[in-house]
Amino acid sequence: MFRALYTAASGMTAQQLNLDNIANNLANSSTTGFQARRLQFSDLLYQNEIMPGSAATQQTTTAAGLQIGLGTRPGATEIIQTQGVPVSTGNSLDIAISGAGFFQILLPNGETGYTRAGSFHPDSTGAMVTADGNPLQPAITIPADALTVTIGSDGTVSVTQSGQTQASQVGSIQTAMFVNPGGLNSVGNNIYLATTASGDPIVGTPSGAEGLGSLQQGMLEQSNVSVVDQFVQMILAQRSYESNSRVVKAADEMLQQLNQLAQ
Amino acid sequence: MNSGYYAACTGLVSRTEALDTIANNLANTSTPGFRARHNVFSSVLAASGGDDTLSMLNQDANDYGILSATRMDSTQGALTKTGNDLDVAIEGLGYFSVQTSGGEVYTRAGNFRVSPEGQLITAKGDPVLGENGPITLVGTPISISADGTISAKGAVAGRLKVVEFDSTTELQSDGSMYTTAPTGMAKMATNSSVRQGMLESSNSNPVTSVVELITAQREVETMRRVLTMFNSELDKTAAQDLPRVS
Repeated sequence: MFRALYTAASGMTAQQLNLDNIANNLANSSTTGFQARRLQFSDLLYQNEIMPGSAATQQTTTAAGLQIGLGTRPGATEIIQTQGVPVSTGNSLDIAISGAGFFQILLPNGETGYTRAGSFHPDSTGAMVTADGNPLQPAITIPADALTVTIGSDGTVSVTQSGQTQASQVGSIQTAMFVNPGGLNSVGNNIYLATTASGDPIVGTPSGAEGLGSLQQGMLEQSNVSVVDQFVQMILAQRSYESNSRVVKAADEMLQQLNQLAQ
Repeated sequence: MNSGYYAACTGLVSRTEALDTIANNLANTSTPGFRARHNVFSSVLAASGGDDTLSMLNQDANDYGILSATRMDSTQGALTKTGNDLDVAIEGLGYFSVQTSGGEVYTRAGNFRVSPEGQLITAKGDPVLGENGPITLVGTPISISADGTISAKGAVAGRLKVVEFDSTTELQSDGSMYTTAPTGMAKMATNSSVRQGMLESSNSNPVTSVVELITAQREVETMRRVLTMFNSELDKTAAQDLPRVS
């Protein structure tokens, strides 16, 4: 049967998945600390009807083989590691990472999650937690009578308590980075988990020797989704889907012609 | 039997095979670094070296068109910016070298990653070769210069092995964006430069492919007409009308 039908179907399936990914990127264009994903395609196997370089006669070889490709397949969705734009919020517990690194979050199941969404709040005990209530690791507690909170670019958190003129240090934020951040596992709520593909976290002081980015207080990193870029990708996906469906139609009509031969 | 009948039949088969190549080109319009393949039709008699004993009439009637080869298109695909430090595109005719269990293969798809061990790998997970073997990257930022020199955190980690081939070298597509070549044909690139943060889009041109598609489709229609004509007009006359004695 026509290989073209299946080849075109592989193209249509891949573009459908591409559109799903684009839709998720666009839906998260306002999500703090969200990192867009990009679908990677690769070609499928080739059928060798004539191997290139096989003997055409005793003296000559074929210059080009007769190779017929069998379509495309989506390989992976890779996390795009570009910096999102930091936007000033004025909130003293909003922190953006400028450069590489993730905040470490203690998840309810005891695992450590990683996020770039640095929107923290004090909980009832004064501990810094995410919007979902998961505490920042290592834990930092803001005293109830703190008047101002200052977070340095290296993660040092200091507070000025009422009745005191000197600021006192209450802890310091450490961030983590990965050899292959593209291999992290997204589990929703802006949280990534480490995998064997990402490698073990390298934990350190922000803007320190490990190459971790510095912290900026009062800022939030916006999603790194470029809406224009995603729209362009969407149009390309749509048109590619269309041309693949055109192939299905052509193959169908050719088959129809063949059937008419018998009449 | 009429030789024209077989000529039309061969034409029909070759056009349906041509559709497979066109479908593959269209299916891979979003595959970075993809090289389109084009159909090469040739006539059987001409390809077999020419037979002087055939009369001109005989040659014309028996010159069947078959799909003899698919040729790889090596035109440059458009470079698109991705902003990812580990995406690299080649400007020029070169290929990146990749180490696989089956030997050295070549690719234009520069969507590389770093393995948990810190090795630079392709999307499929095979190590990308530098001039001195696989490249290990420790730390960020990673910068890649136009000549392929990679540095991680300011220290040089290696230089990408970019190779070029003569236009006569028979390159074979192996899937997963890999291309193989006969051993000893790869030469160090002289006219290729590397661009970081970019990917080469597929060089498959949808306009050309759709035009080829329509052509193949209409040609099938023509061949079908020819076959029907032999069947209904000529053979029917010979088989049914002639023997009838009035």
